[in-house]
Amino acid sequence: MTQSPLLKVRDLTTSFFTSRGEVQAVRGVDFDIHAGEVLGIVGESGSGKSITCMSVLRLLKNNGRTIKGTAHFEGRDLLELSELEMRRLRGNDVAMIFQDPMTSLNPTLTVGEQIIETIIAHKNISRSAARERVVELFELVKIPEAASRLGAYPHEFSGGMRQRVMIAMALSCDPKLLIADEPTTALDVTIQRQILLLLKEIQSRLGMAIILITHDLGVIAEVTDRILVMYGGTAMETANVHHLFDKPMHPYTQGLLASVPNVNNIDGEKLKPIPGSPPDMLRPPKGCPFMPRCDKAMEICVTTGAPEFEIDDAQSHKSRCWLHHPDAPQQKGDAA
Amino acid sequence: MTAIDLKDLTISYSSVPVVHGANFSVADGESFALVGESGSGKSTILKAISGLNDEWTGEIKLFGEKIDPKNRTDISRITQMVFQDPYGSLHPRKTVDTILNEPLAIHGIKDDGTRVLEMLSAVGLDKRYRFRYPHQMSGGQRQRVAIARALMIKPKLLLLDEPTSALDVSVQAEILNLLKKLRKEQNLTFLLVTHDLPVASFLCDRLAVMKGGEIVEIASREQMTKGELKAEYSNELLGVHAQKLGA
Repeated sequence: MTQSPLLKVRDLTTSFFTSRGEVQAVRGVDFDIHAGEVLGIVGESGSGKSITCMSVLRLLKNNGRTIKGTAHFEGRDLLELSELEMRRLRGNDVAMIFQDPMTSLNPTLTVGEQIIETIIAHKNISRSAARERVVELFELVKIPEAASRLGAYPHEFSGGMRQRVMIAMALSCDPKLLIADEPTTALDVTIQRQILLLLKEIQSRLGMAIILITHDLGVIAEVTDRILVMYGGTAMETANVHHLFDKPMHPYTQGLLASVPNVNNIDGEKLKPIPGSPPDMLRPPKGCPFMPRCDKAMEICVTTGAPEFEIDDAQSHKSRCWLHHPDAPQQKGDAA
Repeated sequence: MTAIDLKDLTISYSSVPVVHGANFSVADGESFALVGESGSGKSTILKAISGLNDEWTGEIKLFGEKIDPKNRTDISRITQMVFQDPYGSLHPRKTVDTILNEPLAIHGIKDDGTRVLEMLSAVGLDKRYRFRYPHQMSGGQRQRVAIARALMIKPKLLLLDEPTSALDVSVQAEILNLLKKLRKEQNLTFLLVTHDLPVASFLCDRLAVMKGGEIVEIASREQMTKGELKAEYSNELLGVHAQKLGA
């Protein structure tokens, strides 16, 4: 992966200005995504994973502002573009799908009409050509009897089919990057898997890059190449997916993985929750955001956030924890 | 003794049957899960048992006593329910103390406040939370309050409707551990509704897999963890989880 990344985010910092003060939702996030790569962003509620992507696409609500940082997409800094240029880019080069397919579709328009509208808005083609394109897209996302379903309204589809419609809409202008924000959270488990496998299949066929945002560690192992773990508005750890599950290095990632119940390894023993609760982003801790809940915290963690340590270059493994510093006390069980 | 005994339970909403002749029994002190996807009828069964829906036919016996759907004051003392969403199930303008005292008032139980303190400590909440409002607490803490409320009148059977699905995984682990601990300490019977098989296998001894209003299989936890489920649909559900985490 020596070519330059498709999207390169550096020091992204976003806050919301509320009556109670400044909520520091994203605090200096760095990440890259290359063409054709599937990146999973994992974190619990309030970790800043959605806001990171919203900041990149400049879709923040009125009281939210990206204070500093850059987000270069194919060399252009998205945070510097004019609103008009940005509008051309959204839907065209970068598309997004959201969690709840019911509220992201217009209930009063047929699904065909909504997608035709999107295509005509972005591309200079006739209505009938746009219509043909929609049929193609419906076949791509495996909606049965595609041609006859164009005239149906969103409520005539099941949740899984609606999410397929959303995916078809997102793909309508051949985006280079698709951002999927919890695309399967509102769906049943068996449908979840179908949708994820569909995304993966379309991704490998069309060669686009996908950012998959989720709080569910389980769903992403199968479809992502690399994972970015976020906590307290900061990227804590990143690595290739199987490497991260095998050798999590950051205490937060370790805690998160240990707290997931699993059918195969439960023998009546207790689960290991992470003690404490996530930081209040109105007053985030001065040092590492995970420090108050971390059983391995040291003095330095209280005052200074850790830099990113390179763990294993071949696995793109980086972790933001002082334990990886050469002078840190050795941890038991560290086999790095 | 059996805690729950269902015979040919059929539940309809107006004329649409949503549960077709469900049969199962749960022993006293056992923990039993109903697993399935949305619309499979698992919560509907819970609602019939709890008395939130009285439009059913068949037979429900709780601790040996037949339930009359029109008259259930006695039974609500031995069964209590915990709901999915701790944000929606606590009154936003009442303090934890008031919320916890309500079941006592409804059932005419006199208490000088010791039961509230007892229950707060049982669910692992410090006494300083006693006079707080729900909005001052996190999702996990609210779910602890909801569990404490359910236990205030010393029920024997706890009906749990997706008690952790609205919570983050690290918080979910805390609540699951708490439920397991309480069941042991207070000798409770659990009937858990969930779509999450790992949660069911952590908390329950046996489970019923439901699809389209019917119970397709009843199995033990061992059968599930060893992959010995018989019905095709159960294995489809289990397959989804086995592939999760690359396990």
